[in-house]
Amino acid sequence: MTLLSTKLARKKWLAPLLFLLPATIGLLAFKIYPIILAFWDSLYFVSYNSGEAVREFVGFENYQFLLEDFVFWRSVEATAWMTVLINPIQIGCAFGLAMLLQRQSRYIKLFRTLFLIPIGLALPIATIMWGLMFDPNQGLINGMLQTLGFEAQPFLTSQKQALWVIIFIATWKGVSFWMLFLLGGLQDIPKQLYEAVTIDGANWFQKLRYVTLPMLKRTFLFVFVADTTANFVLVVPMILLTQGGPRQSTNVLMYEAYRSGFNFQDFGRSMAIITILTAITLIVIAIQVLFLGEKKGAK
Amino acid sequence: MLSPRNKKLGLVIAWYVVIILCLIITVAPFLWTIANSFKENHEIFAQAKDFSVNTFIPGTTFSSYIEIFEQGFGRAILNTAFVAAVSVTLGILFNSMAGFAFAVFDFRGKKLLFAIVLLTFAVPGDAIAIPLFMMIRSLGWFDTYTALIVPAIANGLIIFLYRQFFAGVPAALYEAAKVDGLSWWSIYLKIFMPLAKPVTIGASLLLFVGQWESYLWPLIATPSPDMQMIQVALSRFSTEFSSIWNQQFAASTIAGLLPLIFIYRYQKQFISALTGVDLK
Repeated sequence: MTLLSTKLARKKWLAPLLFLLPATIGLLAFKIYPIILAFWDSLYFVSYNSGEAVREFVGFENYQFLLEDFVFWRSVEATAWMTVLINPIQIGCAFGLAMLLQRQSRYIKLFRTLFLIPIGLALPIATIMWGLMFDPNQGLINGMLQTLGFEAQPFLTSQKQALWVIIFIATWKGVSFWMLFLLGGLQDIPKQLYEAVTIDGANWFQKLRYVTLPMLKRTFLFVFVADTTANFVLVVPMILLTQGGPRQSTNVLMYEAYRSGFNFQDFGRSMAIITILTAITLIVIAIQVLFLGEKKGAK
Repeated sequence: MLSPRNKKLGLVIAWYVVIILCLIITVAPFLWTIANSFKENHEIFAQAKDFSVNTFIPGTTFSSYIEIFEQGFGRAILNTAFVAAVSVTLGILFNSMAGFAFAVFDFRGKKLLFAIVLLTFAVPGDAIAIPLFMMIRSLGWFDTYTALIVPAIANGLIIFLYRQFFAGVPAALYEAAKVDGLSWWSIYLKIFMPLAKPVTIGASLLLFVGQWESYLWPLIATPSPDMQMIQVALSRFSTEFSSIWNQQFAASTIAGLLPLIFIYRYQKQFISALTGVDLK
């Protein structure tokens, strides 16, 4: 009898384990461990002598070098500008589009389907496409500007405009995606709420201010956090179009980490930057969880 | 003073104008890309300067397509198809198993483990690409398919999607089967998985699109030409042959159209898996 119940108890413990094991190992090894590894490797100086890696423990020296490095602070500045500009722009456009697409009309299904195109086009494609559109000499946009009588613009070759072009490309790619969450949120608002305030004589703006926005608070918070953390590591347009230039104007931290590792073989520095980025991301997510009180917002 | 009826009509017209403007910005670059992939380079440049309807009408030459395949683009498509197929198969199996365990079993540490699952899909993938690169190099997976496939299999979002779906399956449905002596594996395979078809379609699309669109990871993990994934091969046309525009357009057209066809076909399941939103 005892033997049988231990056997049953073991079985009860065995089934969940077997079902969970493959995915759990995968998550721990390839999603969690790299974060720890980044921190660990950031404490080393790694150099390559004729292809042979030489590792030397240096403590927090990589971080200390970063704090004293003008290039790093320039990169922090670019990242800060990027973060401050791109997220409100993307979320604002996404909300506007969601409001537009919320209206029922005969062609609404077709419109919504067409707005899925940027979600389906990979970021490298979007980047290359728009890179050619924005080409200063032969691009379509300067062609249009000149046809309309405006001056041709330098776009990605200008220190002032490059970051804006990247923001534009990332926004084109991202708006539809964030719009879907907001459109879902809009559709979940009970119709009676609008009917009630309409009877009270509320105008369009008052409906927006007192019904729509308060009801969408959770969705907005989620979109804001998810968008911010995603844009924080936006690096593909920099790799493909600007290499961080001109004059470091688009050299965001993620690109600086990439460049430190793969162009300059300084993986210790690269890992220190990755650790800083991950830490900030986790803090932002923790704040979100605190605000929402539960994890429901993560979906 | 406008009558209410005219005002309403005005609003409808304004709505159409704004939506069509947004649509033009959304769709025009891709139309331009497709049109230009069938043109010679000098035509593309001339028509961008003298902007007209022709700028958006496809040309009649296939030379750019022939050239990109001569330069190994076909190999990149096959690489990507293979990597995506294996990732989808294993990803669906392992993640749905984990989702099943979270929904059906009670065990110690369940809440903590589930919190870890949620955390993993909050951290953007590109942030860990560089430490992951160090890892696969010490594992000896550098420049292999293993490096492209294995790290992409376990996926917190997909575990979450299956768990949510499976948690809604009434216990009565499988308890009887359990009493009849059916194993947990059979219950998972024969009762739960057939019910979860919409989740499986959405999750498969997520895994497929994830591999089809990945760029930074294959760029650093598998640099040799034979191992190139489609986005990396595409970007080579833009960085190494940057003056040959029609090849970049042809490669973008191929790389862009294929996932769009799948997404168009299964848009409901895709949106629901991607965002948790079911649009009315």
